[in-house]
Amino acid sequence: MQKLGLYLHIPFCVRKCHYCDFYSAPSGKGARAAYVRALCRHLAVAAGEVQDFSVDTVYFGGGTPTLLTGAELHELLDAVRTHYAMEPDAEITVECNPVTAAEGLMKELRTAGFNRLSIGLQSVHDSELQLLGRPHDYAAFLETYKAARRAGFANVSVDLMFGIPGQTVQSFSHTVDTLLALSPEHISAYGLRIEEGTPFYRMQPTLTLPDEDAEAEMAELVAQRLTAAGYEHYEISNYARPGKRSRHNMRYWLGADYLGFGPGAHSYLHGTRFETAPDRGAYLAAVEQGAFTTLRQNASVIAGKEKMDEYVMLRMRLFEGLDLQDFTSRFGITFREEYGDVTPLIKGGFLTCTNGRLAFTEGGMRVSNAILSEWLDFGK
Amino acid sequence: MALSDRQSHIRNFSIIAHIDHGKSTLADRLLEATQTVSKRDMEEQILDNMDLEKERGITIKARAVRLQYHAPDGEDYVLNLIDTPGHVDFNYEVSRSLEACEGALLVVDATQGIEAQTLANAYLAVDSGLEILPVINKIDLPSADIDGTRREIEDVIGIPAMDCPAVSAKVGLNIPDVLAAVVRDIPAPEGDENAPLKALIFDSYYDSYLGVVVYIRVVDGVVRAGDRIRLMSNGREFDVVDVGVMDAFGLSKCGELRAGEVGYITASIKSVGDTRVGDTVTLADNTTAEPLPGFKAVQPMVYAGIYPADGSRYGDLRDALEKLQLNDAALSFEPETSIALGFGYRCGFLGLLHMEIIEERLEREFNLDLITTAPSVIYEITKRDGEMVRIDNPTNYPDPAEIETAAEPIVRASIITPTDYVGGLMDLCQDRRGEFLDMKYLDTNRVELHYRLPLNEIIYDFFDALKSRSRGYASLDYELEGYSDSKLVKLDFLLNGEQVDALSFIVHEEKAYGRARKIAERLKDNIPRQLFEVPIQAAIGSKIIARETVKAMRKDVLAKCYGGDITRKKKLLEKQKEGKKKMRQLGSVQVSPEAFMAVLKLEDDD
Repeated sequence: MQKLGLYLHIPFCVRKCHYCDFYSAPSGKGARAAYVRALCRHLAVAAGEVQDFSVDTVYFGGGTPTLLTGAELHELLDAVRTHYAMEPDAEITVECNPVTAAEGLMKELRTAGFNRLSIGLQSVHDSELQLLGRPHDYAAFLETYKAARRAGFANVSVDLMFGIPGQTVQSFSHTVDTLLALSPEHISAYGLRIEEGTPFYRMQPTLTLPDEDAEAEMAELVAQRLTAAGYEHYEISNYARPGKRSRHNMRYWLGADYLGFGPGAHSYLHGTRFETAPDRGAYLAAVEQGAFTTLRQNASVIAGKEKMDEYVMLRMRLFEGLDLQDFTSRFGITFREEYGDVTPLIKGGFLTCTNGRLAFTEGGMRVSNAILSEWLDFGK
Repeated sequence: MALSDRQSHIRNFSIIAHIDHGKSTLADRLLEATQTVSKRDMEEQILDNMDLEKERGITIKARAVRLQYHAPDGEDYVLNLIDTPGHVDFNYEVSRSLEACEGALLVVDATQGIEAQTLANAYLAVDSGLEILPVINKIDLPSADIDGTRREIEDVIGIPAMDCPAVSAKVGLNIPDVLAAVVRDIPAPEGDENAPLKALIFDSYYDSYLGVVVYIRVVDGVVRAGDRIRLMSNGREFDVVDVGVMDAFGLSKCGELRAGEVGYITASIKSVGDTRVGDTVTLADNTTAEPLPGFKAVQPMVYAGIYPADGSRYGDLRDALEKLQLNDAALSFEPETSIALGFGYRCGFLGLLHMEIIEERLEREFNLDLITTAPSVIYEITKRDGEMVRIDNPTNYPDPAEIETAAEPIVRASIITPTDYVGGLMDLCQDRRGEFLDMKYLDTNRVELHYRLPLNEIIYDFFDALKSRSRGYASLDYELEGYSDSKLVKLDFLLNGEQVDALSFIVHEEKAYGRARKIAERLKDNIPRQLFEVPIQAAIGSKIIARETVKAMRKDVLAKCYGGDITRKKKLLEKQKEGKKKMRQLGSVQVSPEAFMAVLKLEDDD
């Protein structure tokens, strides 16, 4: 049976962080309840399309999923289990922000069946958290993390961010070390990117961002510290204890199928990418009217050259890189024939080619865009 | 010879002034006061047609307009106002426009007094034998010093100014005084309408319906529609289609123009290159014995390579240059190729302002993005084998071993400045290899400095430096004096060991090191980091005199992937790819068009 991942988008936040351009908005209790009902209905209807799949990863992302009550999250997960064939060892992740009084929530999440928790920390420095517009401090994180452990979460991921305005290599180093002492199973370390439409975008002229060299040092630092501590640097921004990679996120890089629910969610199914319009009102109305086909936007069949370029773009995000033999058998052409001679890049220390796998080195990964944008052509 | 009644009621005059002293505004008021244009139809600075002229407050092309003046004594006069460009780049055009007149209004700003161009233009007018009529402008401003300005005009230029009109063109004060003075003080045109035709071309422009429209001042004789005319400098003959005068709204046919009159002719002429300013028009079958004196074909003084930022628009650039040349005989261009920039044109200009105007018009009117190389003057190189070559492109500079002597153009510059800034400006001239000639106090507060300066020091960034060191108060005028032997070297730049031809320029030996360092630094700041380190070297021949390094790129990666949004990643990579397409690939190094431009704009930062 084919495997499938489900992504449920929970588009609620206490407030928007300054860097975030993901679809979410503040909400009232009633709105949240109405949204949960709509998601359940959507889940029920969409299941008909994927009856020959079994679900092995479920991911509740946001927004802030934990703005829903434990009972609401439980109800959603029940709906998933009711309508979809589930693998017994399915990875079921919920994202959460640090909150105070986390004890009860963590227990409820475990009871509901979530077995992986992803906490957005970003920094251990309250001044940096404030600058980011995060609605919590480090103490709240610690409380949440400990409550999660007590509740029995044995697979916890923590998000870090570097390149924060005012951040220094030293302050980031302290963040990394402080987090390492807690020994989470998985760590994501993202470089801040200022996106159009965010408060940071408007504030940009007044922000003192670390320069390219400082940001590169931070990226090097986190890679060194975490690999030294026994984490695998398995994807550009992701580190895991052996066996603890995010199975759901791996689907994205491996080109596996996933179905997204909720406004702004993305899907890749039967070779087609599509997304749900990022508009909660429109989403609720469409579900209400049973107009499920109108929910799918920008559908695009990925084939031919685009499929090949996408394969390279996604596989090369992984440190295991791509299998040259697999590339040839998929696309009927060798990598070299399509993208040219990579020997200079190997000699330059950007790529390795061992055991038939082409992969970025640590240094190469950090400048991978410059190389990928030479190879790939997504212009239409 | 007694003037005909017709001629005695004509006055031909121009207005000369330093930039911003209110020439165009005064012209507007004269049009209004004579009801040539009603107030309702008046748009600001009607004579400056081009947007560029209105924006910059300068006149680029000469223009003429006919005013019908009903004087208080009951007589009717025809006043021909010839508006001249007000910049040193266009000095020759100014001198020809002045030749078409008997008098000139010299507009002086009552708050600023005499400036370099006031003087330069006043001397031009004196040389042309014109009656000069001072007009003191901007008397509405609180800081206006009318009496001081009158005294200054008398002291510095030596013409009476105690009774001259004092006006405010802006608010329309005392404008009738100006008209009365024009009729009273400027002589009526002489000339014999029975003699063979002799007319001066003082401007021409190309019109897609009429062909070239030639502005003329008839000195002797008569020209009529149907006449066969001859242009005396090149012997070309044409049949006159139309003859007329210029009113405020355009051309108005009148059948004939007689001695003393100003107007236009059209004759199905295809190129302004045939109707050079300063040339004499006569009749093919009744030729005047002598052409008017002083004709010369203007020669470009400054050259630069112009390339389309997007190489595929080379054809568009050619079309645009051809169209501009239809109206601008002083613009020259010929194809050149650069290893770095591809196909483009080496263009010749009268000066830096002319160059800026052409660039701006190309970008604005033809929607082109351009890369312009550093401006160069023409160097005269005498080789050891005795051959003399004129070099307008550093790429063609001969091997130093072949050079016997190298000469560069020298100008005589006049700078007028408040005394406070004299020290700083003398340092500047010194620094630019200037040779001090003399200094003269215009009054207790202002000084006129004279220097001999190499033209290549002026075309660089001299004017900006002059302005910044004098808080905008100093003014500059210059004229070409000749060539002088000089120790010149060609400075080359290498990226990753490969020479970039478009960055080379010729410079005086003493300046080479400083410039090399500055430009290498600029390049470092403007070349994007690449995967590999990029060494930048400045060289004279094989000798490296400055070096910098563009460090290797350290971070260029898409980190987060929100909820499986793969499409966004693809778009970002695509955008990056698009950005790269605008880059010039120089060997293994990618250079943005901005980097080329940034290198050319060095500030006076010492």
